[in-house]
Amino acid sequence: MKVVEINDVYKTYHDTEVEVKAVNGVTLSFEKGDFAVIVGPSGSGKTTLLNLIGGLDQPTGGEIIVAGHRLSELKPSELIDFRMEHVGFVFQSYNLIPVLTASENVGFILNLQKWPKEKRKARTDEMLASVGLSDRHNSRPSQLSGGQQQRVAVARALAPRPEFILADEPTANLDTKSAETLLDIMEKLNHDEKMTFIFSTHDIRVMKRARRVITLEDGRIVSDVRVNNN
Amino acid sequence: MITSIAWKNVWRNRTRSLTVIAAVTVGVFAGVFAMAAINSSIVQRIDAAVNEELSHIQINNKEFRSSSDLKNVIPEPEKVISVLQNIPEVTHIAERIIVRGIASTSAGSTGVEITGINVEGEEEIFTLKTRLIPGTGSYFGSDTRLNSAFIGEKLAKELYIIRYILTEESLGTLEEGGVPSSVVQKLKPLENQRFTTEKKLTEALAGLLSAREAKEYGMMIREAAWSYREGSRIILTFLDADDNQTGAAFRICGIFRTNNDLFEAMSVFVPENELRRLTGLGEGEYHRIIARLADNDLTDRITPEVTEALPGLEVMNWKEIQTDLAMIADYMNQIYGIFMALILAALAFGIVNTMLMSVLERTRELGMLSAIGMNRRRVFTMIMLESIFLSVVGGFAGMVVSGIVIGITGRTGINLVKYSEGMEAFGYSAHLYPTIGADFFIMLTVLIVITGILSAIYPARKALQLNPVEALRGE
Repeated sequence: MKVVEINDVYKTYHDTEVEVKAVNGVTLSFEKGDFAVIVGPSGSGKTTLLNLIGGLDQPTGGEIIVAGHRLSELKPSELIDFRMEHVGFVFQSYNLIPVLTASENVGFILNLQKWPKEKRKARTDEMLASVGLSDRHNSRPSQLSGGQQQRVAVARALAPRPEFILADEPTANLDTKSAETLLDIMEKLNHDEKMTFIFSTHDIRVMKRARRVITLEDGRIVSDVRVNNN
Repeated sequence: MITSIAWKNVWRNRTRSLTVIAAVTVGVFAGVFAMAAINSSIVQRIDAAVNEELSHIQINNKEFRSSSDLKNVIPEPEKVISVLQNIPEVTHIAERIIVRGIASTSAGSTGVEITGINVEGEEEIFTLKTRLIPGTGSYFGSDTRLNSAFIGEKLAKELYIIRYILTEESLGTLEEGGVPSSVVQKLKPLENQRFTTEKKLTEALAGLLSAREAKEYGMMIREAAWSYREGSRIILTFLDADDNQTGAAFRICGIFRTNNDLFEAMSVFVPENELRRLTGLGEGEYHRIIARLADNDLTDRITPEVTEALPGLEVMNWKEIQTDLAMIADYMNQIYGIFMALILAALAFGIVNTMLMSVLERTRELGMLSAIGMNRRRVFTMIMLESIFLSVVGGFAGMVVSGIVIGITGRTGINLVKYSEGMEAFGYSAHLYPTIGADFFIMLTVLIVITGILSAIYPARKALQLNPVEALRGE
């Protein structure tokens, strides 16, 4: 089942007098349960493509369909709701809310979605357990290591059961052990819950785990390879 | 959840928030306290004007105020009294005979307004008796050998009834009162010297004391040297009802001290029967009838009622008589408004600045919130709440501090005696008892919240303008 369909998408920036084609005619789709990485040199358009898929940015041409929604047809306010309902984000810098505990961070989107308190608590507990942080419910981000913070970010992204997770350089700030632990967790969630993960990364540790590697150069797909890592 | 995050956000930079809250607290306190002090000064002045000088409503013959003719009495005073008695809000009524004349002693003379009063009736309306300076007499006591006159301190000074003598006893009092012995020793050459005016004593002190000592202890020394010989007399001269010059000697039965120099300098109160006898006015003839109301706030409502009931007479309330005071009282709301605007403007600038800094340094976080699905309304609400919390905490702290300080100084008073000459020349007391109504606090609370909301609009709009992609990319 296709979760994301990208049809001949362009994204052009006008930087003073120079036109920059960050994404240049990309056609691509992702299936439910994909564990895919988008790789490429800096400036190849990885993050831009991820932003387009996540509805954070609008393409200048082409069409993106996510979970049946044509993103170009959504108003800005509808895009925000769309992101809340369908997309989980994991950022390079964790981006947790510093004044909230791990548990509150995980429950944040559930709260925005108005989940009942008991269901919200159960889901939060479940997600923190799934990332191995059952004992850090009440820790603030500043009391957690980088790896732990990124695991909380993954739990937050997964908590509302999105269609897929977009992870932009999730291991870039992590040491090897933390990165491996995080990837173990993501792989397990992918395997157990059939959660779709789409990464943008330079990190060889992530590429080694991926079952699909899409390479971008100058905004174009130069290869899209399925890998059997099992 | 948004409320909780907003509250926690306020405290994420504790030092900055506390600094802003402290600034708001100090600003609110300064504004409220200054307002309370000004308010007390005006309230005290109005109280003094109503309770000591004018009462609420005065009724005169229409010609009386513009002419000094004694014949301009109130026609049918019993009808006036009857009208007033039928108004439930009128609690007391007093009649007066008023004559303009000259008060003199062997040392000086000055123009005065001589008021003949019914001593007992007057006490029910005015509190001037309580302003009697101890040791200057017994108000209108039992000694009736000579006509009695109750006069103001300023007049007593102008007539040189008050003198200044530093006796051994008064020098001892000064030392007991905290004046250093070195200063008291310097005053020894002045012992038992008599000064006819305060100015002469002050000049003599300047020759003996340093400028600092004179400034610090001058007031106490003048008070200690203040001397009055009980039973002093003044001559009151005026025209009688037939325009013949008349007059008599009056024994001073007391000297009153108010905060109004002009009133003190002009007023002589004598028993009505004495003045009636001297002026030749008939029994039941009065120049003025005074009505006291149950409450000062009734003045504006009752005055037209009395005016309508008494056509042909001049009916004036204290606001119409002392228009300057009434104007200040009426302008109080505008003064309140200006003070509030200043307080709130300072508060607004502080909040805008803080919130703007807070938003700009959270660009990435706000971008993330937008990315994961926090809509514009929620972001706006969060910033608004942060601003309101800052304002309300600071405003509340400021009001608590103000309440406590006003409560304490309202009881103990603030002594501005160093500036008393200037203040009392305009009728204002040098002892302030700050007071402010609960309505002011309520209004200020509401306005602080509104200011918090308005101050947040610009920073909140800034937050809404953030593009999540750019915000997430930025540091």
